[in-house]
Amino acid sequence: MITVKNLYHSYTNDQAYAVKGISFEISKGEVFGFLGPSGAGKSTTQGILTGLLPLQKGDVEVAGYDMHHRKRDMFNKIGVSFEQSNVYNKLSAIENLEFYKKLFDVNTVDPMKLLELVGLDKVAHKKAGTFSKGMKHRLTFVRSMLNNPELWFLDEPTTGLDPAIARQIIEIVKQKKAEGTTVFLTTHNMNIADELCDRVAFIIDGDIKLIDSPRNLKLQFGEKLVVVDHIVNDQKIQDKFSLINKEDLDKLNTIIQTGRIEMMHTKEATLEEIFIKVTGRGLE
Amino acid sequence: MKKLWTTFVKDVKLSYTGLYFYIEVGMAVIFMLIMLFVVPENFDQTQTYYVYVDQSLSVPFDESQLASESTVVERFDSRSDLEEALTDKRSAIGIHLKEVDGKFTYEMVLQGYESDSMKALIKAGIEGEFMSAMPGYVDQTSVETLEVQSERMSDREAVLPVYLVLNVGFMGLFVIAAYVFLDKEEGVIKAFAVTPVHVWHYLVSKIMIMALMGVVTSLIVTIALVGFKINYLLFLGLVLSFNVFGSTLGLLITSFFDNMTKAMGALFFSIFVMMFASLAYFMPSFNPIWLKFLPSYPMIFSFRELLLENGNTGYMVQNIFLFFGLSAILFAYTNLRFKKTLTV
Ligand SMILES: Nc1ncnc2c1ncn2[C@@H]1O[C@H](COP(=O)(O)OP(=O)(O)OP(=O)(O)O)[C@@H](O)[C@H]1O
Ligand SMILES: [Mg+2]
Repeated sequence: MITVKNLYHSYTNDQAYAVKGISFEISKGEVFGFLGPSGAGKSTTQGILTGLLPLQKGDVEVAGYDMHHRKRDMFNKIGVSFEQSNVYNKLSAIENLEFYKKLFDVNTVDPMKLLELVGLDKVAHKKAGTFSKGMKHRLTFVRSMLNNPELWFLDEPTTGLDPAIARQIIEIVKQKKAEGTTVFLTTHNMNIADELCDRVAFIIDGDIKLIDSPRNLKLQFGEKLVVVDHIVNDQKIQDKFSLINKEDLDKLNTIIQTGRIEMMHTKEATLEEIFIKVTGRGLE
Repeated sequence: MKKLWTTFVKDVKLSYTGLYFYIEVGMAVIFMLIMLFVVPENFDQTQTYYVYVDQSLSVPFDESQLASESTVVERFDSRSDLEEALTDKRSAIGIHLKEVDGKFTYEMVLQGYESDSMKALIKAGIEGEFMSAMPGYVDQTSVETLEVQSERMSDREAVLPVYLVLNVGFMGLFVIAAYVFLDKEEGVIKAFAVTPVHVWHYLVSKIMIMALMGVVTSLIVTIALVGFKINYLLFLGLVLSFNVFGSTLGLLITSFFDNMTKAMGALFFSIFVMMFASLAYFMPSFNPIWLKFLPSYPMIFSFRELLLENGNTGYMVQNIFLFFGLSAILFAYTNLRFKKTLTV
């Protein structure tokens, strides 16, 4: 669905690249996570893939279209949700969707159904300008679903939303995934990436450090830990023990045989911990 | 076409809920009210007479006899000096005093804008004030007009072409730039750009909304000031072609900048230069050749022709085509530029 080869991009048209020769492929029906800290080049890459930024150097094919020779009708197949909500403040929620709906040449979804999906149906006729940040974000999000896109770009779809709404959005993406939609998901929320993505790419300073499935990454980089709550000298303490480290295993054995254990569970390394381990950097 | 219409309808909705529409209409109404109730139909002016006394005159002539509160008299040494002075001061009237066959007479040298009633007035004025008192005066008056096809408009009407050019041609430069930058700021251009529409859909819709506003506001003012005595089909042609040209120029300038503050200088400068043409219009003596190459020059003079009773239709139609043609060329280039820069 997407093929990127040696993609470079400079906002200043010089050697100061925001994206430095990245390559990756996304196959049909895949949910691909693009993960990285702020300023890594995630939005820049999405901008080039969606034709909002010019393709300066490298080769990009999106939904069967060579981005060196863009054709406007490719957007019948593509949906794009933006990091910053961008709706017409002076139009109502439903007017916003009705307007965009008419710009497509393919079958579209009933705007009211979309509003229902994210709980905006009750304010359908209110001006978007009166909406809260989260409401505008949801409107921006469902607008990208109008044309039932085969390929769906989501830039930070849950950032800044309250957990309940974020959950709603995640469920919608899962549903679309089940229907076979290919998703390019940009985020710095590792939990969401972990839950949704078939594969993730770690990007830092415009460079992709690795691409793999969350499962493989955990097998490869994550050491399993055992977390033990036990009582020593009438005091409750918590210890973590690695299951690969010999010393840790011995200690754990001792506690099991002689100590007073209150609670014990295994813990997987999170994608976030792996990210830090691989890149030496946090996500914020 | 369907997509263009959809976009245009959306832009209409947005603009009549927006500020700029009301600024434009408000300005039109204020201008109209000022013209109707504050500005007199004709400005009061003292009359300047330029006099040349022919060698043939045998009686002495004292120009101070002619001077009064509302008249200024200046004497010249030759007919050509007089005519030259007249072309420099378009409000002056020339008088050539001479004797023909021993009889004292005079010739009025006029600018061409004087109406018949004015000519009669001038004549009566000259004769009443002193000519008839001269010995041996016989009425053998002949009138020479420098500009054959010329009528006089009221001062109120005379301001209208400048207003129309400003409103239709150049206010739009600012407003259309403001619209584009507003869309950029709100990010809605990006949302629009990821739908199967073309950049030209976006641009043409903006030009159409400007044209709509231009037609509405200029109609309000023009009907109020001159009523229905002009050809409104030509009016529409002029307003539309000039407006489209102005909007396209505004878009082209906009395409070079990424925010309103940066674009402001260039926009203001263009309007400033364009307005030089109004100098030539109000002060015919100021008429350097480069002025004629400003787009505003033919715009102002086309509107002038439109207001004249026997205006030059050919000139107007020619300009309508000229400006639509220029707009098409500008637009092609602007579209090319925006394809690369609109969403960056
Ligand atoms: N319009 C622009 N002009 C100049 N530089 C830009 C522009 N947009 C982004 N950059 C720079 O390009 C680099 C990558 O930015 P980008 O927006 O792609 O990061 P991101 O990974 O999406 O970050 P975030 O998580 O904050 O959204 C950054 O160094 C940023 O400063
Ligand atoms: Mg970003």
